[in-house]
Amino acid sequence: MWGRIFSLMRKEFAQIFRDKALLFILAWAFTGAIYTAGHGMSMEVKRFPTVVYDMSKSPASRDLINRFQLPYFKILSHLHREEEITMWLDSGKASMAIVIPPDFQRRIDGGKQAKVQVITDGTNSMSATIATAYLAQIAGDYSLEVLEKQERFTRSAFENLPIIDERLRVEFNPNVLSSWFTSLLELLNMFTMVSLLLTAAAMVREKEYGTLEQLMVSPVRPGEIFLAKTIPTIIITLSLSFLSIFLVLKPIFNVPIRGSLMLFYSVTAIYVFTMSSLGIAIATVARNLPQAMMIMLLILAPMLFLSGAWTPPEAMAPWMQRASLISPMRYFIDFGYSVLFKGNGLAYVWHDIVGIIVLGTLLFGFSRWWFGRKIAK
Amino acid sequence: MHNRIYAIIRRETRELLRDPVYLGLAFIVPLALKLLFGYGLTMDVKNIPVLFYDLDRSSLSREYMNSFTNSEYFRNVGLAKDYKEIDHVIRSGKIRVVVVIPSDFSRRLHEGRPAQVQFLADGSFPMRAEVVKGYVAAINAQFNQGMVSRYLSLKGQTAAAVFPTSVEGRAWYNPSLESKNFIIPGLLVITLMFYPALLAALVVVREKESGTIYNLYCSPVRPWEVVAGKAIPYIGVAFINYILIFLMSVILFKVRFTGSFILLSVGALLYIACTIGIGLFISVISRTQIAAMLITFLGTMIPAFLFSGFMAPITSQDITGQIVSRFIPATYFMGMVKGIYLKGLGFGYYAWDLLTLTIYAAVVYSVAILSFRKKVG
Repeated sequence: MWGRIFSLMRKEFAQIFRDKALLFILAWAFTGAIYTAGHGMSMEVKRFPTVVYDMSKSPASRDLINRFQLPYFKILSHLHREEEITMWLDSGKASMAIVIPPDFQRRIDGGKQAKVQVITDGTNSMSATIATAYLAQIAGDYSLEVLEKQERFTRSAFENLPIIDERLRVEFNPNVLSSWFTSLLELLNMFTMVSLLLTAAAMVREKEYGTLEQLMVSPVRPGEIFLAKTIPTIIITLSLSFLSIFLVLKPIFNVPIRGSLMLFYSVTAIYVFTMSSLGIAIATVARNLPQAMMIMLLILAPMLFLSGAWTPPEAMAPWMQRASLISPMRYFIDFGYSVLFKGNGLAYVWHDIVGIIVLGTLLFGFSRWWFGRKIAK
Repeated sequence: MHNRIYAIIRRETRELLRDPVYLGLAFIVPLALKLLFGYGLTMDVKNIPVLFYDLDRSSLSREYMNSFTNSEYFRNVGLAKDYKEIDHVIRSGKIRVVVVIPSDFSRRLHEGRPAQVQFLADGSFPMRAEVVKGYVAAINAQFNQGMVSRYLSLKGQTAAAVFPTSVEGRAWYNPSLESKNFIIPGLLVITLMFYPALLAALVVVREKESGTIYNLYCSPVRPWEVVAGKAIPYIGVAFINYILIFLMSVILFKVRFTGSFILLSVGALLYIACTIGIGLFISVISRTQIAAMLITFLGTMIPAFLFSGFMAPITSQDITGQIVSRFIPATYFMGMVKGIYLKGLGFGYYAWDLLTLTIYAAVVYSVAILSFRKKVG
């Protein structure tokens, strides 16, 4: 049996290595794509495009405005009329306008509260929320300094106030770097995409070329054909991912690899097998590559974007949360971050591994059953 | 000449109609994706599971905990028994924040002295950690304000409690800062980036694999006629999909639509022409269907999601991200779509974007036509 699988596998490898464009895109997927995602995509609010409308034009207001600085805020312009705010925000050139009232200095000097108005472009609600929070923090620091200067209050007076001092520590990623997250996510995405697409396309091709019939009349069994299609995918994705970890993740982004690489690679091999089985299942159902591609799009896109990495699973609708249990990637994301990032061992990830194995077995079994019923006859 | 283009269009259309499974999928898949994403992709960080470790067990510490769990942002999962449990829940990823209230919490506060509370957040998903940070700071500040003013009014010194500045935030275009209002229109852009590209990606390379391309090589048809004839039917299919997705966003997801449908449709038509063009270009330069499919999946899906300004403003990205964003048409259409949906702006604001999309389309088709060489091998 292994002899037959081996010769079939040799054919698969030959077909992949003959296709230079394919090799190039595979290498790019595991290096360049991960680099651009990790380096280019950041969720932090930086250089937030801001305009200022200072009606007070006083030393106090200037002092406050000078604190809104890079890296968080980029002051694009100082406005002179209120209508200009609409113009800047409408055109999308600015995402935030800070309005300082004319009586700013007078109220502060008089020991009263001055209101700073912040108008944000709500069309990107997440960054609007975060930018407003940054701004409030800066204004808060400014207020404390004012109080100190006016000698109404000293910092030591804080010792005598019932104030709760929140000490927040972010575990596993103390500086909240998005490059750690995005580059690792892109690696997990690439495993998912490549193993599904490559295997399914290799299988559909046999159908389209009619070479599947030739295989059917040979002594090879369906299970052997499937294995001969999945094993090369496993070998290729795993070896390419060494490049990702040792050429991109570690040296460029300094992603801390805390867990066992042995564990990671063994389970990833199973995961690639599961995703390849999904590809084979699709290939046995679809009649040609365009059909297979549409089905894969339908499955792959939700899998990638609803994996729990971009959006918190707890905020999803309950039926969506349950539906996501049939996505192998959900377990793989959980597993990948848990092992590589948190350094967890089997005790924390065994249920993810079980999920991946169960889904893989079901898909492989389904393909054999469908293949035997529809095609082998 | 017109007859030749017309003949190619007729042939492509007939091939589409001949495969009803594919045609059905071509209309169902984008709608199904929109439905899944619309319900699943929410950026509102709500119901964050939080665990408390209350060493104080006083009425004040309970009041403090309630200030978190009474908000819709946090969901109380219970009380921890010891530090080991804290480490465990953070590692397992079931809990996103742990709050440790020290044993001298209420004693210190009652004496009018500051107390420290420790927060441990899971940093695997930085964006979520960032939002958690903001919520914690806001809720804590509110609690402190109440504490301080209660304390000072007990001591009869209300004047000192006036903070010199306050920040008043307001969001335009999306006052309730619901993520739905930018995610649903944003998804229109993302879907119309990868979906048309995939539709067109196999069109030419299929003929290369099956050998029917030689019919075209031998006929008097010119390269630009082939490219145009193949693009037009698929632009039609994608445009019908655009209208369906648009109706879904307004009727089913009830996103505010304040602008002009005609203007949006003109933009969409240009944009679809660009993305179909990208698919055709990939199809023309690839030698195998597998390579074409992988290039299109990898080159359109995740980049559109990451770099179009959908997740985070482009100005906040590093230089790599800003460069990539300039190369994908989604960036130019994203601003238009958000502006037309939520800001209700007219043609004048988008003349530049429309022009850019036109130039983009012109370049893509020119490159595709130039790469289509009538030669063998």
